[in-house]
Amino acid sequence: MSFEVMAPLMFVGLIVFLLLGYPVAFSLGAVGLLFGWIGMHYDFIQPVFLQNIPLRIFDTLKNQTLLAIPFFTFMGLILERSGMAEDLLDTVGQLFGRLRGGIAYAVILVGALLGATTGVVAASVIAMGLISLPVMLRYGYSPRVASGVIAASGTLAQIVPPSLVLIVMADQLGVSVGDMYRGALVPSLILTGLYLVYVVVVSLINPKAVPSLPEEARTYRGARLVKRVLTVMIPPLVLIFLVLGTIFIGVATPTEGGAMGAAGALVLAALRRRLSLKVLLQAMESTARLTSFVAFILVGSRIFSLVFVGVDGDRWVENLLKTALPDNPIAFLLVINVLVFLIAFFLDYFEIAFIIIPLILPAVTGIMEGLYPQDYKIGLYWFGVMLGVNLQTSFMHPPFGFALFFLRSVAPPSLKTSDIYWGAVPFVIIQVIMTLVLLFNPWLVTNWLK
Amino acid sequence: MRFLLGISRAIDALSLNINKAVIWLVLLSTLVSAGNALVRYALHSSSNAWLELQWIMFGAIFLLGASYTLMKNGHVRVDVLYSKYPPRVKLWVDLLGTLFFLIPTAVVIFLTSLPWVANSISTREMSPDAGGLPYWPIKLLIPVALVLLILQAISEVIKRLAMLTGHLDIPEYVTEEEAEVQEVKAIVVQNDPKEDKQ
Repeated sequence: MSFEVMAPLMFVGLIVFLLLGYPVAFSLGAVGLLFGWIGMHYDFIQPVFLQNIPLRIFDTLKNQTLLAIPFFTFMGLILERSGMAEDLLDTVGQLFGRLRGGIAYAVILVGALLGATTGVVAASVIAMGLISLPVMLRYGYSPRVASGVIAASGTLAQIVPPSLVLIVMADQLGVSVGDMYRGALVPSLILTGLYLVYVVVVSLINPKAVPSLPEEARTYRGARLVKRVLTVMIPPLVLIFLVLGTIFIGVATPTEGGAMGAAGALVLAALRRRLSLKVLLQAMESTARLTSFVAFILVGSRIFSLVFVGVDGDRWVENLLKTALPDNPIAFLLVINVLVFLIAFFLDYFEIAFIIIPLILPAVTGIMEGLYPQDYKIGLYWFGVMLGVNLQTSFMHPPFGFALFFLRSVAPPSLKTSDIYWGAVPFVIIQVIMTLVLLFNPWLVTNWLK
Repeated sequence: MRFLLGISRAIDALSLNINKAVIWLVLLSTLVSAGNALVRYALHSSSNAWLELQWIMFGAIFLLGASYTLMKNGHVRVDVLYSKYPPRVKLWVDLLGTLFFLIPTAVVIFLTSLPWVANSISTREMSPDAGGLPYWPIKLLIPVALVLLILQAISEVIKRLAMLTGHLDIPEYVTEEEAEVQEVKAIVVQNDPKEDKQ
């Protein structure tokens, strides 16, 4: 066997092992060790590589960046399980109810707010599907518009800081999480704005699709509404501004911000008398489980890359991409985005971040060194945010998108599945537009970096 | 088979109980880390020992939580094909995957970590930073966690074998997403403000 075929073979092995459907973390480790063993047999790799395995695991463990993952997850879970989403949807819905398209605006804004507390897509979509969807359908919203708005707004958690995707992305690209957050803020606000504009357009073209709430549906009015807004909306907003604010101005590291956010969430939940032992235990258990599976995928991918780099796989992929893809940097990034868009039909974002990004990183770094000779990392922030917006679509595309699945699971049977699919299409188009906007306007990301 | 299933139940109970303790580290590490940050602003001082405690707890959470996560089918899969397999094929994939992917990987990590950990213990390795904590206990946790993971893998193999031979009912396959929907749905219904008023 010649050395040159090792990398392509290993790549094929990776695809086959992953497709079998055994957990990713161990499939990655197994491909790595199998090819490490073959490599040692043919003297392509020195047995010393084995000694690096514990070192790589220890690096994963000491990684301050990843530490932010359990903290932000914990914060989001505590806020969700203590009923924040439900209260916000109810109150903001009442606040905007008078407007045509009011509930749709409320859903989008609450989606963005939940995103800013590290909401999880599943929880946001399910809460909206159970609380806002019945109201929208009862008062005559078009089922397509209603379901599309809910599924898409739930995915905002993926891109609005302090999103977990951005943490993982920053880790894999080797850049700072704080700057990744700074870079993602404006694009995520623009994206939220585009969702709102979509509802405005619908309300102008087809007002019947997004009616306002009739008088009897607005149970809070006047002073009661004001009081409700103050008690329900202000505390989480203050928490969000404290956490994100201190990270943005650089007073706190993302890890510290996450820890303080989680502590703050515990205090808020306790004040609202919603912090039962059950809520706490569930949130801790889910956090530990997520932390464990994410860290183990990372361990598996480190073992894989140890061997893959050993057989020059990184250079093979880099050359492959450079020969197969156009030389023009923008065209190159466009093709990469199309590839990721397609891969996102099959892999979820953790898998893409841990498997695909390391493979394409050398080639992308090369492109960014050309575009940003002063500091190629600036380009990596741009690339990371662009990919983040792109990856949101993995939740939305019919028929596999998980946001659609979550909505289907909680929507009344009278809502047709085809309506859920068609409702998502305009938002997939918005995502594509936003990805293109970012591709041609890197300053939307890079302007805010420190 | 009854004897093997007994072993499997004992291992499951071990993983469950370890996890019950480990999840409290989530709360503890949050409080330690938030405390560190506050002390840093208020007193402009920070201690390496407390900072290191944060990531040591993070490591303990993910290492010791892995066996429970395996038991709960919580390690993510690429399920494009898997979700369409008939139940018995799923069992075979899990069985062979555990035997040929998980266990070998875990054994290799375990074996390669031993000399490295032994070295750390014999030198009573300390953090290179001033006022830092000893490193050897957390390093020791790596082989310990892998032993627990291998044990849990054995339990999973026993359960799959028992299901394939009809000694154990095949549970209905619930995807991670379906489980998530069930869990969150219950919480949302309970928290729905409209329910309060009625």
